[in-house]
Amino acid sequence: MIKIEKRNDVSPSIYFLTPILAIFLTLFGGGIIFFVLGFNPLEALKFFFITPISDLYGFSELLVKATPLCLIAIGLSFCFKSNNWNIGAEGQLIFGGIVGGGVALLFYGHDGFYVLPIIILAGAIGGMIFAMIPAVLKTYFNTNEILVSLMLVYVAKLLLDYLVVGPWSNPEGFNFPETRQFSESARMPTLFDGLRIHAGIFITLITVFLSWLILYKTYLGFQIKVSGLSLKTAKYAGYKGKTMIIIVFMISGACAGLAGVGEITGPIGQLHRNISPDYGFTAIIVAFLGRLNPVGIIFASLIVALTYLGAETAQIFLQVPKYTGQVFQGMILFFLLGSDYLLFFKIKFLGLKKNEL
Amino acid sequence: MNTKLRVSEISKIYPSCVANDEISLEFGSGKIYALLGENGAGKSTLVKILSGVVRPDKGEVFLNDKSIKLNSPLDAKKNNIGMVFQHFNLFETLSVFENLSIDSDKRNEDLRLSVNNILKKYNFKIDLDIPVLNLSAGQKQKVEIIRCLIRNPKVLIMDEPTSVLTEQETEDLFVSLKQFSDEGILIIYITHKLKEVLSICDEVAVMRKGKIVSVSKTKEEKIETLANKMVGENLSTIKKKINNFKYKDEILKISNLNFSSDDPYETNLINLNFSLKKGECLGIAGISGNGQSELFQILSGEIITDYTSIKFRDKEISKLNPRERREYLMAFSPEDRISQAAVPELKIYENVALNNFKSSNFFEKGLVNEKKIKEHSKKILSNFSVNTDNVEMKSQFLSGGNLQKLIIGRELITSPELLVCFNPTWGLDVGAINYIHETLININEQGKSSILISTDNDELLKLSDRICVIYKGKLSKIMDVNEVTPEKLGILMGGGSID
Repeated sequence: MIKIEKRNDVSPSIYFLTPILAIFLTLFGGGIIFFVLGFNPLEALKFFFITPISDLYGFSELLVKATPLCLIAIGLSFCFKSNNWNIGAEGQLIFGGIVGGGVALLFYGHDGFYVLPIIILAGAIGGMIFAMIPAVLKTYFNTNEILVSLMLVYVAKLLLDYLVVGPWSNPEGFNFPETRQFSESARMPTLFDGLRIHAGIFITLITVFLSWLILYKTYLGFQIKVSGLSLKTAKYAGYKGKTMIIIVFMISGACAGLAGVGEITGPIGQLHRNISPDYGFTAIIVAFLGRLNPVGIIFASLIVALTYLGAETAQIFLQVPKYTGQVFQGMILFFLLGSDYLLFFKIKFLGLKKNEL
Repeated sequence: MNTKLRVSEISKIYPSCVANDEISLEFGSGKIYALLGENGAGKSTLVKILSGVVRPDKGEVFLNDKSIKLNSPLDAKKNNIGMVFQHFNLFETLSVFENLSIDSDKRNEDLRLSVNNILKKYNFKIDLDIPVLNLSAGQKQKVEIIRCLIRNPKVLIMDEPTSVLTEQETEDLFVSLKQFSDEGILIIYITHKLKEVLSICDEVAVMRKGKIVSVSKTKEEKIETLANKMVGENLSTIKKKINNFKYKDEILKISNLNFSSDDPYETNLINLNFSLKKGECLGIAGISGNGQSELFQILSGEIITDYTSIKFRDKEISKLNPRERREYLMAFSPEDRISQAAVPELKIYENVALNNFKSSNFFEKGLVNEKKIKEHSKKILSNFSVNTDNVEMKSQFLSGGNLQKLIIGRELITSPELLVCFNPTWGLDVGAINYIHETLININEQGKSSILISTDNDELLKLSDRICVIYKGKLSKIMDVNEVTPEKLGILMGGGSID
């Protein structure tokens, strides 16, 4: 007989073990899918998860993908920890990219060390402003931030579309929907020759450290924690709820904006229609897989980044569509939510119960 | 019709506690049995077993010497065991009759006939065709009772039936219960109110920590003897000294306070006026849901209504939020200690940091000063005899009484001039209640004032210097505690008027 019992308390080890369990279940599920498709599951999983990072270039690519994911997820953790559901990081990323890209175009042909910092700052501010729209609407007009932030993603996407096709398109670009390549002064420096890994990774690491500091060591972090656990208590303690909503959205938006500007000044080097392969949405999975914990998010971003790379490798070697990557991302989230059940309940296996007396 | 109900060696073990430990009891018809015990003594578990909601780990139930299996509430119904829970299971927007017909297999006409017979027989006055939300708590309870009576119950179990009733409604209920009992229905009455046991029950079984500690005839018992059995220790009876008002200064003045809410489930407050002297305790009585929660939140600053109605120590504080009000030496202990006054998932010291008054330096330059918070927390734990000294423990592991001591301690350790508390002893055991009461009396003796919003009349009469009643968002006139009797309070709480 199987008996399901409610746990009295969530033990910290289970709390961090369930994401690992989810990853193994995902591998298992993925294996089954490959098997059904007619591949040798172990072989396919090897192509998916090991081949992409078996050389230095692949490892650098992993970090290139993990950099924006980690940055956005860290920002989102501020929102999610305080019960604010910012689903629109993708839009904030794009808008940050637009503002940063606009400034980069403005400085086209300029040299100088000051160009890149200004662009980065502009991108962060862009994302921040874009995130403040759902925050202000929520605090002053009681709108639902999930809907507003999500719908604004499409606003940002279409605005980018318009800009790269119309006013900002490259005059020598034969009407391709893209801007000029940014000048060298507007590009994120790469760390090693021949590899795409760029200085954006330091921005991410600094942000992770600062976030840890804010979340765990400051009054603001404490208020975020209390509000996330009980809004009633936050109100009773006299925390300024509205100000806090706006602050967490600003932080979250700034991080997404930074990620956007990191992409366009880093690996991409210009604005075009697809500056992000849905990093903003995937980062939601990263945030939860990392348990909204800064260190957890670093690891989670690496794992999820691997699904992007794996999908590309699998496309080349197995001729499966690269959307397999999204299947894996979906499975991770699915199994994570599923194994969260174990946080609150434990399963006991009992022998067949004999009738008493 | 003779009914005999026997439970034999019933045990139910939960992961955190033994709720029922080898309970054996016998009941016979024609009598009203009290099951008495503190919260957490295991009464509710036993009752849930009898009504099929919970299955026991061990033991059997016999009805008229036949072993019966109670695997679901349906089984209880089949065996003619009726149950009226403390929280009503009624659909508010459906009419009374619709509510009754939901779980009845009779044809509507037959059902109406039998309901009307019941109404007539027991002199219940309820309109069957109005929505349940228009009924008073007492009437809703009658609907639940009728629901049981339709099935000709042999056993009727009442779980804390008077907790939501006015004094008058309680008396009506007692008359009905006697009538049922005379007709041969076996009645089991669950309560922690000693007076009710003595006034209505024939026999009383006292439970403590999952065990039956005594079974006796109520005639042989007195309030003190029962209370001692319930808590297992001799209670010190504390009584408040008559306040001689050595202080004359007015500390709080509320003038023309109005509140109207967009939320239909909240109560509007209409033109409240009162003031409070230094060292005084003002009691605000009333049945819950008459505006107490709104009044508390306005006093604490969680709701800001207007900018002119609250003066504290001659300063206008109406627009300040709770944290700012604390700077002016106000303190608040809300009703919902589990999910509002504290956060169960937070550690004790983190819960202490919720009261971040300025001189605390808990957060210096925006950074958490953990050392200071922990020191401060240790002081609270020892000064207010919370039974742990581990500030790292999550507060969800504190019992209700210890959690409340922690909260009151957190609020009082800053020596506030005014403490506003809302049902501070709700659901606590007698030991903790006494401790909280002593504490509240002490602060008055030290010249600090308090406002006690409570639904427990005994508590109000014991602690208050002056009392008023809130009814549908309006305050009655404020009376000196000496001129107040439970009967007067009952009338006012039910919306009547005195003199």
